[in-house]
Parts: sequence; C-alpha cells; structure tokens
Amino acid sequence: MRLRRHFKFEEATGIDLAPMLDFVLNLLIFFIITAVFAKELSFAMNRPGAQSATSGKESGNIVINIQEDGEVWVDKRIVDVRAVRANVERLSALKPDWGVLIVAHENAETGVLIGVADQVREGGVSNITFGTTQ
Amino acid sequence: MRSQRHGGEEIEEHGIDLAPMLDFVLNLLIFFIIITSFVRETGTEVVRAEARTVEHVEKGNILIAIRPSGEIWMDRRQVELREIRPMIERFHVERPEDSVVVVADKASKTGIVGKVMDEVRLGGIKDVGLAAAEPGG
Repeated sequence: MRLRRHFKFEEATGIDLAPMLDFVLNLLIFFIITAVFAKELSFAMNRPGAQSATSGKESGNIVINIQEDGEVWVDKRIVDVRAVRANVERLSALKPDWGVLIVAHENAETGVLIGVADQVREGGVSNITFGTTQ
Repeated sequence: MRSQRHGGEEIEEHGIDLAPMLDFVLNLLIFFIIITSFVRETGTEVVRAEARTVEHVEKGNILIAIRPSGEIWMDRRQVELREIRPMIERFHVERPEDSVVVVADKASKTGIVGKVMDEVRLGGIKDVGLAAAEPGG
C-alpha cells in the first residue's frame, strides 16, 4: 500500500504526454498528406554517344524516323504509330540483338516519340536510343 | 474523499502508457519529414503522354518539366537550358544515387527534350528517363 502511494506520487510529477501526442499526430497527418508518394513512371532512354548506348551501336540499330509533322517511318515506309509494334517485332525477329534508334525531328511532338517508344517496348525491344535531327 | 481516491486509482490502473506510442509516432513523423524533402519537384504542371509499358522508377528524385512552349522547370522554378548542368552537378554531389526523370509535355518539341537529356548527362547523372502516364490513370 505504501509502495503504491509512492508510485502515485511519481505519476503526478510526470509530464502528461497526451497533448504532445495530439500535436505530434497532427504534424504526422500533415506530412503524410503532403508526402509525394506517386513514384514517377518513365522509360529509360539512351542518347547517341552515351556509354550505355554503345552496346546497341556495335551490332546495329532498327531505325525509326519521326518527321516534323508526326509521320513515322520504319524500314522506308510510312507506318501508323499503332503499327510500329508489328514492324519492330518483325525486324527484331530477323536481328534479335539489335537495339532501336528513334530519330525524331527536333520540332516533332514528344507525345509521338513516347507513343513510338511505347510501341517499341511492346514489340520486345527495350534498348532504345533517341536522337534528334534538324 | 473516498470516491475521489477510487476514481483516481481506477484511471491509473486502466490508463494506457502513451510513451511507446509517442516514440513510434515521432519516428513516423521524422520518416515523413525526410521523405518530403527528398523529391525535387518541378513546380509546374504538364500533360503527360500515355504509354502502356512505363515502369516505376525507384529513385527518380530530380524532376525536370518541359512545357509545350519550351520552358524548362526544375526545383520549383523556371530555368534556362544552360543552368541545368551546374544544378545537376550540385544535386549529384549532394546525393549521388539520385536519378533524373524528364517530364515533357506531350506537345513539347523533341529537340528541347534531347538537349535537356544531354545536359543532364553532361552534369554527371547517366540515369535519365522520360516520363509518361499510364493509360486512363
């Protein structure tokens, strides 16, 4: 009984943590809400002349041209963006170790470039080099 | 007197010890504070092109946005093309494991995207990606 009294005395002098906890929880909620969790979604893309692009250069590249107006040329023919995949599949079946070189006109829209790169990756080639021309 | 003591003792007995919870919550708090300061946002909004094969990048911390007009946004302000290289060099020294994601508007020109990617490479970060969005997302 005496011991217990002593214990109670200590409780009384201890700091009440509840208000601090409330405050800290509010801070926590604030930072959870402001934290940017959305990880970026992206493609890895090489640039001509970069170290990582040399593996593709050794063996050659499937070249895809993007014109200023958004026309896509593969293998000397104009193709629709949605048909790039089939073309890449066909060409990479012939040359399995080749990468893809996308040569875009510098005024072409990035949306077309990303559409083409997406099709190339769907066609099974992930070694994409991206160059621009004037 | 009796009732007071009774009530007081009851609370003592059944009250939860908040100290371990507080420790835990403080750890969480520190974690989130650190996380928020790790991402270098662009400070502008762009329309991303959609692609089905995009991948999540684990360490894509430095974001560079390119607007349709060719403006480049980085670290919450508009920058010139030639400013990118020293900025990237500085970020690379601060945290060498960071990678760069170029967030280009789908109406932006590929020429400027290529130039930005080259500047980032010259600044010392070889891991450069081009951002896209998941269809419908």
